[in-house]
Amino acid sequence: MTKSVVNVENVQKIFGKKSENQYKALDNVSFTIKEGEFVGIMGPSGAGKTTLLNVVSTLDKATSGKIEIAGQDITDMKQNALADFRSEQLGFIFQDFNLLENLTVYENIALPLSLQGFSSKKIKPLVTQVAEKLGIKSILPKYPVTISGGQKQRAAAARALVHEPAIILADEPTGALDSKNAHSLMKTMEHLNQYHDVSIMLVTHDPLSASYCERILFIQDGTLYKEITKSGDQQQFHQQILNVLAELTSIQSS
Amino acid sequence: MLVKLLSGSMKKMWKDYLVLLFGLTISIAIFYMFETLAQNKAFLEANALISSIVFVFHVGTFILGLVTIFYIFYATSFVLSLRQKELGMYMTLGAKKGKVTQMMFLETLVIGIISLIIGLIVGVGLSEGIARLLMARLDFSGEGFHALYQSSLWTTVIFYMILFLLTAIVNAIRIARKSVLELLHADQIADNKVIKGWKTFVGTLFAIVLIAVGYFAMINMGELAHAGVIIATATVTPGTYFFFMAMLPFIIKRIKGIRTINEKGLNAFTYAQLDFRVSQLSKVLGTVAMLIALGLGAMTAGLSFYHNTEIQSSMMHAYDVKVLEPTDKELTEMENWEFEERNLYSYRVTDEGVYFSKDELQTNPPVIKEITGNLDELTKETRLEDDLTAPVYTTDETDNAELMPEQWHTALRSELMANFYIFGDRALYILDQEKFEAINADTQTVFVGKVENFIDHANTLEEIDERHHQLAVKYTGEEPTMSGSKYEDYISLKSIANGTIFMGMFLGVAFLMMMASVLMFKLLSSATVDIDRYQMLRKIGVRHAKLKKSIYKELFLVFLFPGLIGLVHVLIGMEMFSFILIEPYTKIWLPISMFLVIYGLYYLLTVKMYQRIVLPKN
Repeated sequence: MTKSVVNVENVQKIFGKKSENQYKALDNVSFTIKEGEFVGIMGPSGAGKTTLLNVVSTLDKATSGKIEIAGQDITDMKQNALADFRSEQLGFIFQDFNLLENLTVYENIALPLSLQGFSSKKIKPLVTQVAEKLGIKSILPKYPVTISGGQKQRAAAARALVHEPAIILADEPTGALDSKNAHSLMKTMEHLNQYHDVSIMLVTHDPLSASYCERILFIQDGTLYKEITKSGDQQQFHQQILNVLAELTSIQSS
Repeated sequence: MLVKLLSGSMKKMWKDYLVLLFGLTISIAIFYMFETLAQNKAFLEANALISSIVFVFHVGTFILGLVTIFYIFYATSFVLSLRQKELGMYMTLGAKKGKVTQMMFLETLVIGIISLIIGLIVGVGLSEGIARLLMARLDFSGEGFHALYQSSLWTTVIFYMILFLLTAIVNAIRIARKSVLELLHADQIADNKVIKGWKTFVGTLFAIVLIAVGYFAMINMGELAHAGVIIATATVTPGTYFFFMAMLPFIIKRIKGIRTINEKGLNAFTYAQLDFRVSQLSKVLGTVAMLIALGLGAMTAGLSFYHNTEIQSSMMHAYDVKVLEPTDKELTEMENWEFEERNLYSYRVTDEGVYFSKDELQTNPPVIKEITGNLDELTKETRLEDDLTAPVYTTDETDNAELMPEQWHTALRSELMANFYIFGDRALYILDQEKFEAINADTQTVFVGKVENFIDHANTLEEIDERHHQLAVKYTGEEPTMSGSKYEDYISLKSIANGTIFMGMFLGVAFLMMMASVLMFKLLSSATVDIDRYQMLRKIGVRHAKLKKSIYKELFLVFLFPGLIGLVHVLIGMEMFSFILIEPYTKIWLPISMFLVIYGLYYLLTVKMYQRIVLPKN
């Protein structure tokens, strides 16, 4: 039996104070992600995707419920512990890359290691290794402004991977990429998942990107609406996703 | 339409514009403040100890002008960085390049004019306020000083109008040269210029050579005189800028290049922050260093004049306390003072002369100050040792008795206060015991003593001086203008020096204020970009405390280098005054530690402000 890396139980997130107009962004959401799984989160805009990601990524606190990542309950952790937890256990890939443009690609990738106090002797081989994995070894000494969007996202992915986190959280990673680069990035992520056992949680609204996942959770109005698992090939899965999305749209418009 | 777009976006980014306006306003206000002094020739000449004060102010105007030019060009380029993306957008929507260029030109100019108006008002207000404050502190009437001085006003207006016109043109040209795409993506383009090796080398060489020549000129100011001031100005100022443009980036790059340092914790980010905007930073830091040098220099020089009055007054007086015919009250009061040396001498006064007892003078010989003719030590203290063999010595040349040796004459006149002010034209005598007893008059005493710090006893000494004046009335029939005490000398020297001290402090405060505003401007203008960076770091799991530490470190280095360079400039620069002041370095720790405390506090304030801007509240 494989362990679960993410375990979300009855999570609620309410915005606004009690006296004010309250808004339930997440309502009793529960799910688990097993080690080595590639899970997608989909749903229309405003469904709560980003809120869910923020809560899982410890950037935001859930109003109630329990979240466990790599066996650790993060709901009661203090600020500093959370920061340490993020730097050790989580890897982030954002839509807008979020590379520090005043650092070279190498320095960007090395940052999580530096923060954990790795010696520079150990840092270099690790950075080179992950850069090779992502095919960006040649751009390591460059600054982010001088490389393409696809390369930036790979660099971001390398940074998310370098310290071998328990899970990678990706927020619309292909959002700012053209279809070719998007395809290539998703292929890489699929590869990382399949051959290097990297667990990934991917938030996206792009059905094609989502079709690289093994399992997809759909959320609608803050609740889990449906869950589908890949059974056939990617093409079929893509079609399946489109069908669910069509369902969702018809519910919304009715 | 153009104006509408312009004012509309100005409203949107009013916070950024406020920062810019603040920076420009302070610069204008300080320039004006400086000019109120620099152009008020009558005031300068009437109140300065330095004869070539007007010349000094000309040099000051030159340095301040140069520093201001650097600063204004830097500050107005901020307008460009604020607006280029938006202007690029207008162009994609069909605005013609000419129109956009025109907008940039107008905007820079309008901002300049607005800040000029506010700056002048602030400048007049500051001049008035600071002048009043200082005059009250210094007991200085400051007649002839005008906070609102017309010719200074015009100079400031003309100087800044030319500067703003120039910067407006430069900004317009820079916009005109850029393509639409460059404008649109302006915020993504790193201004991380690759510094060429040979450029760094030449720049560093220039910096070292120029500063060395300048220091040499300042140290040898005695021989070089005016030429020395000009050489020092023309070398140290550009040398400082070269240092910050070539050497500092080089040093930071070097530190960054050491992987064991760079890859430790957040260091990579901290040094990158420094390195990243290095070209902008260099001008700001050069300006800050020069302003620190000017401000601290002015204050140190001013305070140095103040302390030199103490030294100057000691030059002609061996004893700090000299009391003729001390009263019981004065004697009890002095019982509590810690004397390093004290003596009591007897004398008798007749209508013809003042008579001292030789035996007393020989048992406890007094000390005097003698002029050496050596510039390093103008006077030296000598204890009178030679034997007085004759029974009578006198200063009366018509008398048949032995003429009093010059040293003893000095001792009686300067140290025992048997001087013209008190005793009129009575002759002085030193008599043996027998002859002294034969003088038909009451025996009086004069008390002399040395204390650690005579200023501590200012009140009593002033009272004693007053009584001496009454004593003079008794002996001569008229009140003298002075009595010849050390304290009196000190007071009169101080009142002469006050004008110079006033100028030093006034300018010191002004320059340091401008320094603060320049640093603040640099900081706030780059804070917006940094918000995203710190947020990003927080996301990937950097502890709040670490981010705070990184800010402390980055700003520490930003503060450290100009502070250090400015300080060294001042330390060497004080040597310039060695031909006017006896000891220019006396109590130099005082203004320097004052500066360090203020600078340190300003650093902490800046860090706190910065943290509030870029770090989210917990």
